[in-house]
Amino acid sequence: MSTQLSGASARPAAPARPGRSSTTAGTAALFRFALRRDRLRLPVWVAAGTAMVALQSVSSQSFYDTPGALAAYRASVGSNAATIALAGPPVGLDTVAGAVAFEISATVMLIAALMAMFTVTRHTRADEEAGRTELVRSARIGRHAPLLAAVLLSALACAALAVAVGSAATATGLPAAGSFVLGASFGACGLVFTGITAVAVQVTGHTRSVYGLVGGAFAVFFVLRAIGDIEGNWLVWTSPIGWAQATHPYSRDELLPLLLCLVAAVALTVAGFALLDRRDLGAGLTQPRPGRPAATRSLRSPLGLAVRLQRGAFLAWALGLALLGVVYGALADSVETLIAGNEQALAMFGDPDVGELVDAYLSTTFSITALLAAAYAVSAVLRARSEEGEQRAEPVLATATSRSAWLGSHVAVALAGSALAMAASGVTTGVVRVLQTGEAAALGRMVGAAVAYVPAVWVVAGLAVALFGLLPRLATALAWAAVGLFLVITMFAGSFDWPGWVSDLSPVSWVPLMPLEPWTAGPVLALTGIAVALLATGFAGFRRRDLATG
Amino acid sequence: MTAISVSGLVKTFGTTRALDGLDLDVATGEVHGFLGPNGSGKSTTIRVLLGLLRPDSGSVRLLDGDPWRDAVALHRRLAYVPGDVTLWPNISGGESIDLLGRLRGGLDPRRRAELLDRFDLDPRKKARTYSKGNRQKVALVAALASDAELLVLDEPTSGLDPLMEAVFQECIREARTEGRTVLLSSHILAEAEALCDRVSIIRHGATVQSGSLDELRHLTRTAITVETARPATGLDALAGVHDLRQENGRLRFDVDTDALDGALRHLTGFGVVGLTSTPPTLEELFLRHYGDELAEDGASAREPVRS
Repeated sequence: MSTQLSGASARPAAPARPGRSSTTAGTAALFRFALRRDRLRLPVWVAAGTAMVALQSVSSQSFYDTPGALAAYRASVGSNAATIALAGPPVGLDTVAGAVAFEISATVMLIAALMAMFTVTRHTRADEEAGRTELVRSARIGRHAPLLAAVLLSALACAALAVAVGSAATATGLPAAGSFVLGASFGACGLVFTGITAVAVQVTGHTRSVYGLVGGAFAVFFVLRAIGDIEGNWLVWTSPIGWAQATHPYSRDELLPLLLCLVAAVALTVAGFALLDRRDLGAGLTQPRPGRPAATRSLRSPLGLAVRLQRGAFLAWALGLALLGVVYGALADSVETLIAGNEQALAMFGDPDVGELVDAYLSTTFSITALLAAAYAVSAVLRARSEEGEQRAEPVLATATSRSAWLGSHVAVALAGSALAMAASGVTTGVVRVLQTGEAAALGRMVGAAVAYVPAVWVVAGLAVALFGLLPRLATALAWAAVGLFLVITMFAGSFDWPGWVSDLSPVSWVPLMPLEPWTAGPVLALTGIAVALLATGFAGFRRRDLATG
Repeated sequence: MTAISVSGLVKTFGTTRALDGLDLDVATGEVHGFLGPNGSGKSTTIRVLLGLLRPDSGSVRLLDGDPWRDAVALHRRLAYVPGDVTLWPNISGGESIDLLGRLRGGLDPRRRAELLDRFDLDPRKKARTYSKGNRQKVALVAALASDAELLVLDEPTSGLDPLMEAVFQECIREARTEGRTVLLSSHILAEAEALCDRVSIIRHGATVQSGSLDELRHLTRTAITVETARPATGLDALAGVHDLRQENGRLRFDVDTDALDGALRHLTGFGVVGLTSTPPTLEELFLRHYGDELAEDGASAREPVRS
């Protein structure tokens, strides 16, 4: 740090120049420094996105190696609302390249958005919250320089992702023009979320809330385009993810929608700078309100503290999953419409029972909800890790609070919270189904189907606890890597030509596909047993190890 | 009666040997200064005493218990102020004080109110908006408002202004009057000198000296400035006289405490007109132990003095 910054300040002091240039002074030095700090992170993000595309390309080319296989795929996808909701518009599926773009684009859009969110936040709000920006800004660094450097770094990463994806797709045998359109669509999506994050880091004073705002924005835009894609209507155009996918790589190769992304990214970034000028260093847009002079009765135990610390995140996730349940339930009607209008699909499924197809759709949606609930559970468990690493566990463990009680309180929030969130999504889907079909029994079936995933969700939570107990410094990275792996397995095990044991790696695939399949006790007992063993390992490990700060 | 008894404590982190055979004895009811430069192992020792870190070897007893095994039971009887106080950003100072107090087993509301007043702390503010000194005050109020018999304070006054430093010293004296034991880690020597009955000085994870301040002073030198009627000669030949120099017609020198008597007897032979003697400060003790240019003195000074 010192070398880069002193490089800037060692130059003879420029005469005080009023006007525009001074607010961005030092951007180049900060940019180089940020590039150095992220010299490993950004290549990992870019490589992850690129590898997904390359893997999908190779796998799809071997999987759909005959025109017949491709036609069957087209027929099944064209009628599956769940797939369309998760992937995007079913366009260009008459070529393998088009199928690759369809299958992988939503996932890489998410990767691009997360990359942008973490990159911009890390170099702006996170530094500011930790007090580092104050130090940096005391040097000859303009007011706008840290944000500008972060936005430029994120833009560079998005460009790198675009080029890498284009090159990798071309190298694996897909048409070059479409490949670079595909890459550009990911880069453009990343740019929009760079802008969204540039605004979010001004609005709130906390890194955690920034992630909540940007993650929420992604969820809203994703749902808008999902509804738009299934209904085939204008809602697609309310979402930057919809714009990026409107490029239709390999079939139409439209570049114009990317202009929308670019305009939005620039407009949002400009708005970010405008908001930056209206707030104080270290603060968000609103002044913090004073708190209570004394603690209420609820704040008297480790559990009371864990609930207090985690209630905001829990409410946000539970609300999100409940809303997702509404959307999934509402779309069940469209499944019937889609099937009725797709003669090819009807022929392929051999005049299927439409109700069964709806159940198949609903069971797929609950497995996705389960993965999201698992992601929440992991984040709730890892709160214990951030409390420990940021030295807030130390004063609590120096009181008459045992290590098991302290860890147990965070784990209890994770287990109960994820189960409640799962149940909430079952209830909302069920209520919507009851309204659609008039059958009161639908509510119980949907809640049952959702709650059946709870043991699988707890296995993922247990894995995070075990990692926390045994490998505290690696726990965060490894636990999220596991969530990512399970997500990839659930989303792609069907389309990749993978052996069965790969899909068995994910606890979510152990659960019977309710309501399509009947409930069975075997997997539930096995998953519960594994969850208990993982939890016990984690608690035992934590009781034996040193507190790991920093 | 000993509140804390540590001997031969070793703690390594990877290849770093943070504690290298550290010894520490704190008697019940005393205020014990735990002194050492940054990175010498003070906080690591305290974390071992709190059962947050597990020792590699050596014996550690705290309030007649094993700090690792009996952590929860022992923590009911002690209160801790970390060196770097980090609080929950969204929780107010008053709430943090109550929470930490309740988790320890309760605090005295009257005392809490009195301490908030004395430390001039607004309990309504969210921790995020507190300065470093105010975060320190939150931890101090939470610890001092408890009825803990042992206070473990890790550089508790870093960040406090001089006014608050005075309040802190008052509070520690009161704690001693109440019969509490205090382990006070510090590198502020004036503070240790003002408060501590005994001190232990550590360096590189090992104790280099411990004892009462008087005992430690015996190990070092008194600075003498003297004006004599006739030019004094022959001082440099005396054992224990160091750094002799002539300034404005006066003689200045440092003398080992056990050679003080001989030096003064020698001087009276030249007709002493004026004399000032400055007792060694803890600062000088400290510098003597840590100043690398004085390393040649180390061998003799390393003998620990025990009371």
